[in-house]
Amino acid sequence: MGKALKKPNRFVTAIFILAIVYLYVPLGYLVIQTFLKDPNDIGGGCTLAWILQLLQNPDLLAPLWTSIEIGVLSATLAVLVGTLGAVGLTPIAAKLPVPVQTLILLPILLPEVITGLSLLLFFLLLRFELGFFTVAIAHASFSASFVYFIVTEQLRKLDPNLSEAAQDLGARPDQIFWKITVPNVLPGILGGWMLAFTLSFDDFLISFFTSGAGVTTLPLKIYSLMRLGISPELNGLSFLMILLSVCLVIALLLRRESREWVLKR
Amino acid sequence: MKLGAIDLGDVKPSAWTFLTWLGLFTLLPFCIILTMSLVQRGEYGTLTWVPTLENYARCFQWIYAKVLGKTLFLAFVATMSCLVFGFPVAYFLARSTGWRRNLGLVLLFIPFWTNFVLRMYGIISLYGNNGLLNQSLMAMGLISQPLPILYTRLGVYLGLVYNYLPFLVVPIFSALEKLDESWREAAQDLGANRVQVFWRVVVPNIQQGVAVGALFVFIPMLGEYVIPDLLGGAKEAFLGNVMVSQFFVMQDWPFGSALAGLLAMLLLFTLWIQTRWGQSDRRFTRG
Repeated sequence: MGKALKKPNRFVTAIFILAIVYLYVPLGYLVIQTFLKDPNDIGGGCTLAWILQLLQNPDLLAPLWTSIEIGVLSATLAVLVGTLGAVGLTPIAAKLPVPVQTLILLPILLPEVITGLSLLLFFLLLRFELGFFTVAIAHASFSASFVYFIVTEQLRKLDPNLSEAAQDLGARPDQIFWKITVPNVLPGILGGWMLAFTLSFDDFLISFFTSGAGVTTLPLKIYSLMRLGISPELNGLSFLMILLSVCLVIALLLRRESREWVLKR
Repeated sequence: MKLGAIDLGDVKPSAWTFLTWLGLFTLLPFCIILTMSLVQRGEYGTLTWVPTLENYARCFQWIYAKVLGKTLFLAFVATMSCLVFGFPVAYFLARSTGWRRNLGLVLLFIPFWTNFVLRMYGIISLYGNNGLLNQSLMAMGLISQPLPILYTRLGVYLGLVYNYLPFLVVPIFSALEKLDESWREAAQDLGANRVQVFWRVVVPNIQQGVAVGALFVFIPMLGEYVIPDLLGGAKEAFLGNVMVSQFFVMQDWPFGSALAGLLAMLLLFTLWIQTRWGQSDRRFTRG
């Protein structure tokens, strides 16, 4: 970048501010509504009752735990499978035939509605009982490819001289794998795990199809509350989750190495 | 055994684990849907295993063709809007430095770390008949009736732009960041004005990145289900919504599967056009 970088002009700045307003007003409105006695009446006075009511509501806390459990299980599965794939396929990545490349991309490219429906049919045909495990497998089925690409990226950056040097010094292949490859790829694996977790935690549509009546994740719970209309407790929940994401993003951006990963998402 | 340039004996077991996983949980379910799109529907929603292409022919009946057209149109308009608004936003970020840039990026991304369904909920409460927008417009005396925004095409459009804008800002931003500032300076030194610099230096250098970014916004929009479902209601259904209702309401699985097949083909076709276009584009600029 040259030193003569010009400051953004007024027009560009105005559009930027407009975009930020557009993105924040709906969320800000939810936060404000949380503290209103009557959520539809801005001048009607403030209260903390909704937040307190929410924190004692097991109906909302149970789905939160379910979402966390499914997130952890599916992210762990996805990291296992995706990392194995990256390690195994990187040496032959350049030679992979187009159909195989497409297959790896397919879970990312297919619209969620098709992924969800096709997995539902698959589980029904195999007579799997829909519930916790089908949702976790469904989430892992698409996030494994994301992990694969993140870890592959790390492997590509890995200096091949390192392994060669280790080999020259008499290291066995398994020693090279555990002492050179794994420590160098670890940031990618962790990043992949966190991405897989957030994809799972945020997912609505695939859970919607693969959960049956057996299990309710947080997004499913929010969706069913929404269908019933505006509810003050839901506003309270939004407030807490917006707060959480604000903290999370700021914490991640303050760390240099995770910044790139946040922006990629 | 050999497959293309690869000796299958060289493929490690770890790679097979991943490929088997993909085969089992992505390819096989997808093939099930494709197979189902080729059989007949029996009475009362059962399946009759007679091969037919009738389901695909039905996709082009007027009422479904209209849905397809609407989906394509709205996804296209929303992608273009994201491009038009995303460009200045990305430009602002690329031109800013230090804390300003970091703050801008954080601000852009915080909403996307908030649950997707909650974001939709925010839009519903803001634009609804009792929402802030209509309330304040009525309080100001600008309108006497609430504006119908939710459950109209405008509502779906606003939701699409809301949800996809940052995903187009990022590729434009990275393309702009890679752009060498000295080229711009050189053009200016050679007497180009700002408009010329923009069209003849900036645009040709970022168009490839921007096109890929736009495609990765357009494709998921085509397959969108939740946004039209929540913000559009039955009247503004996308292809994905019609497809799901074939499964759960009409109990016509083969036809629903055919719509899924059609949607998948549409996406592959869009991707294929993009790669072709990208190749020819490269030939013209670098050749």
